Amino acid sequence: MASIITATVASGLTQSADNSGVLQLASGTGNLVTVPSVTGTAMVSGNMPAFSAYLGSNQSVSSGVNTKVQCNTEEFDTASAYDSATNYRFTPLVAGYYQFNWQLSCRNSTNISRISCVLYKNGSGFKNGADIFNTNSTIGYKVTGSALVYANGTTDYFEFFGQVQTTAGTNEFTAGSGADSYFQGYLARTA
Amino acid sequence: MLYNKIKTLYPQITDKDFDTVITLQNNSDGKGDYIKVWNHPTLPRPTDEELA
Repeated sequence: MASIITATVASGLTQSADNSGVLQLASGTGNLVTVPSVTGTAMVSGNMPAFSAYLGSNQSVSSGVNTKVQCNTEEFDTASAYDSATNYRFTPLVAGYYQFNWQLSCRNSTNISRISCVLYKNGSGFKNGADIFNTNSTIGYKVTGSALVYANGTTDYFEFFGQVQTTAGTNEFTAGSGADSYFQGYLARTA
Repeated sequence: MLYNKIKTLYPQITDKDFDTVITLQNNSDGKGDYIKVWNHPTLPRPTDEELA
């Protein structure tokens, strides 16, 4: 059995109680939700951070240097947790496990020897994305990464770095009208 | 470029070294490229004068 709080058009809010220790919520008839007996924070769409930002214009970078990708154009940022103006970092204020996805596109006027992309946590490399070695081409190449990582909801922050190695020429992270280089994350579940 | 300056200074350094014991970084904050990590087992970290 269960203690049930029910909302209906006919009766408004009603409740029935027993000593089972189980709580259920009902909207109308037959739509029961059993509140699980766990400790945690109930999540609804309003308090689950999610963001998506992309590189708005091509970014010139030096060869062989891990460079923060300036994803300065937001598609969405539900909790205003992504800084698209200065630090290009995501600092979620809800503790939990976050799924991140990132993609980097690079090009150079001569041959590229390596492309890599990394998720940084609190200023240091944390999860590596894909690498491409010895591409032997000047056209754009894309590498991607994804990871599920923990954030403490207070001080932890996340950034997206990329690297391209070449022997000469000009290196660029390419924007591709927002489709080439981007950084995304969302709360998968709370701590 | 910092990467090329280091390779010129130490021709024996390999790209693998840049993946394992040396990390160059740029925080896109206008301060430019810098050596974040230098843990090369035999070569000393270059001085600012050597990299200028």
